[in-house]
Amino acid sequence: MAVARTTVPVALPAQRDRNGGTRRRRPGRLVPWLFLAPALTFFALFKFWPSIEGLYLSLFHVRPYLGDQWVGLANFTRAFEDPDLRAAVGHTALDAAVQVAGSMLVGFLLALLLEAPARHVRILRTAIFLPAVTAMVAVAELWGALLFPGQYGAVNSLLGHLGVGPLPFLSSPDSALWTVMLVQIWKHAPYDMVIFIAGLVGIDRQLYEAASIDGANAWQRLRAVTLPALRPITTIVLILGMIRGLRVFTEIYVLTHGGPAGATESVVTYTYRTTVTGNDAGYSAAISTLLLATTILLTVLTLWWRNRREAD
Amino acid sequence: MARTAIRSRVAVALLAAACATPALTGCSSGNAPPSETSVDASGPLKVWARAANDSPKAYQAIFDAFTAKTGIKIEPFFTLTDFETKLTAAATAHNLPDVVVNDAAQLGNFKSQGIIQKIDKSKIAGADQLTPGSWEAAKDLKGDVYAVPFSAQANLLFIRSDWLTKLNLQPPKSWEDVAAIAKAFTTGDPDGNGKADTYGLAVPGSTTRGYISWYWSTFFWQAGGEYFNDTGGGKFSASVNSAAGVQATTWFKDLFCTQKVVQPSALNDTTTETNKAFQTGVTGMYFTGPYAFATMDNSPVKGKYTVVAPPAGPANAKTLAEGTDIYLMAGNKPNAAKKLAEFMITPEAQKLGMTAVKTATIVRLPVNPTVDVASVHDSDPRWTLAQQVFTNQGHYEPDSMPNWAALRQASSDALNGLVAKCGDPKAALDTLNDKLNSLLKQQGVAAG
Repeated sequence: MAVARTTVPVALPAQRDRNGGTRRRRPGRLVPWLFLAPALTFFALFKFWPSIEGLYLSLFHVRPYLGDQWVGLANFTRAFEDPDLRAAVGHTALDAAVQVAGSMLVGFLLALLLEAPARHVRILRTAIFLPAVTAMVAVAELWGALLFPGQYGAVNSLLGHLGVGPLPFLSSPDSALWTVMLVQIWKHAPYDMVIFIAGLVGIDRQLYEAASIDGANAWQRLRAVTLPALRPITTIVLILGMIRGLRVFTEIYVLTHGGPAGATESVVTYTYRTTVTGNDAGYSAAISTLLLATTILLTVLTLWWRNRREAD
Repeated sequence: MARTAIRSRVAVALLAAACATPALTGCSSGNAPPSETSVDASGPLKVWARAANDSPKAYQAIFDAFTAKTGIKIEPFFTLTDFETKLTAAATAHNLPDVVVNDAAQLGNFKSQGIIQKIDKSKIAGADQLTPGSWEAAKDLKGDVYAVPFSAQANLLFIRSDWLTKLNLQPPKSWEDVAAIAKAFTTGDPDGNGKADTYGLAVPGSTTRGYISWYWSTFFWQAGGEYFNDTGGGKFSASVNSAAGVQATTWFKDLFCTQKVVQPSALNDTTTETNKAFQTGVTGMYFTGPYAFATMDNSPVKGKYTVVAPPAGPANAKTLAEGTDIYLMAGNKPNAAKKLAEFMITPEAQKLGMTAVKTATIVRLPVNPTVDVASVHDSDPRWTLAQQVFTNQGHYEPDSMPNWAALRQASSDALNGLVAKCGDPKAALDTLNDKLNSLLKQQGVAAG
């Protein structure tokens, strides 16, 4: 119900019915595109064109000052056989899965706790949202310092009082990736929280009242009313999180540079490394193209799965 | 309507996916050859130097003197850890600076990208004045010159003198001494705060720019190892898995894994973080270059540390030597670029680089022997020591290999992995040796 109320495209078919002819439909159809034009021009110049250029470059051994050499699909073949890239894909997939699930769960719980109009809750909500709007580099630098692996690192000092540690955090290949995930969840959960709050606000209160009258307890109301109503929102959070997870770069680069022993190397940090230390822009363009294809495929699959569930 | 909504949602999602996925941009596949015109293009000379903190000011002093003399304006750009990253991006965008001042170790990397110009030594005014040794750091394997040397240095051992006094210790004379002092610094509470919050040795153990192998090289050479065997005819084979390599690596690994005397964040640290560890009293010993005098004297450890020649290892007392080179890039201002290089090796510019800014010595040891280090630095004994160590113990990395940066990166990845997992040094070095041989093959200089 909430969804139907907020669906914008409803206006268009209505307009067609009223006007009947095609002459006045055109300017009407142009208007949204005009509004979209600045953003689309920006994306075309800085996103779409580079992606196409990247696809083109992936077919070459790129040497800007010596002339590019055509290599056909060799860069792609190499990508499928590259053990370092395979490891990076593994880390990225694990990182994406854990941090997306973690951020969603924490974000949802925060949303349930903080969905209220009272002033003190608003202040609390703003405070909790701060990590989401803080620059990732600053966040990562800060956590890097807090998580200093020695006994006197800030977090380890606290753990020390509880009789735990000192933990190696980012300095051990066994714990580095998990530590990075924790930082990511801390950063992204508030973002997910805001989207969930928006979803919660949109749920018709009458449904809760009806459920209460039927004798449903809090848990049953959550399961039968809240969760189903949040489905569309969850899809958006999931897709955004997945995309974010697949292209993870800044936090890893700042926290660990992909180390130790390559334990936190993600697809994008690996791509970055092949470009700037390996001077192999063609190969990294091939990896980027594969990443783009994977992202699109996963997005389409998620939507398809969601739509089927909704249709059922 | 439902379908429209779904379709538009798919479109939006696809758009989001495409936008969110990073695309590596490159530029056209055009390949303009280096300009050979005799007339320079107009505009200021773009100069990039690998420098941070106060070093840019020192470079600026040299550039100002150059502009005053020649009227040629300079547009400088400075950055440190990500220097090569930014340069590669500039090369990919066909927007290179005209002159680059950077480590000699990058020579092969730059040459293999075709972004630096070959240099005719006979046409560089003042080239004959420079020490012959300094030119060695500007040559490729064939002996062709691809840069003009600007500065040189060798690593020294920095030690907290107050910690030595507190624990009643003497500066180290051998590896055993280094390990023993490192242990004492770690366990003996040298800062007297009652907490076990100090470590013996500062190590930049990250793989970024090949830091860990760069640092380890000193111990490797001191055990008698060398990265490559020269098999004649410009061909080489890797030799890191020699007995000397295993000995040095085992000792190095034990500092991390058994003794636990290295700062715990080492494996992710570059020199920036490692400098900080020494400056803030986290670590008590640090093998680094004389450029760090200025950095350390500008921090709380000023006056609390001493500098000694690196103690000898089992085979010799070699220590990592490095050069800074002036690279003339494939640009369209070749004459002005050459003039700047010629000015930067004059005694005037070299002295400016040593003293113009107290907190930054961008010329560590001058390449121009007419400049006397001791007198320029007011007889600071540390600089006299730096000169002696460079002359007697300095050992360069194999900078002249076709792409040493790539070989160093592979070595770093292997060492970082070995230390992180506290693995078997012999096995790790065997794997690294194979990797280096395959890289030598890619670079066209593999034996056999």
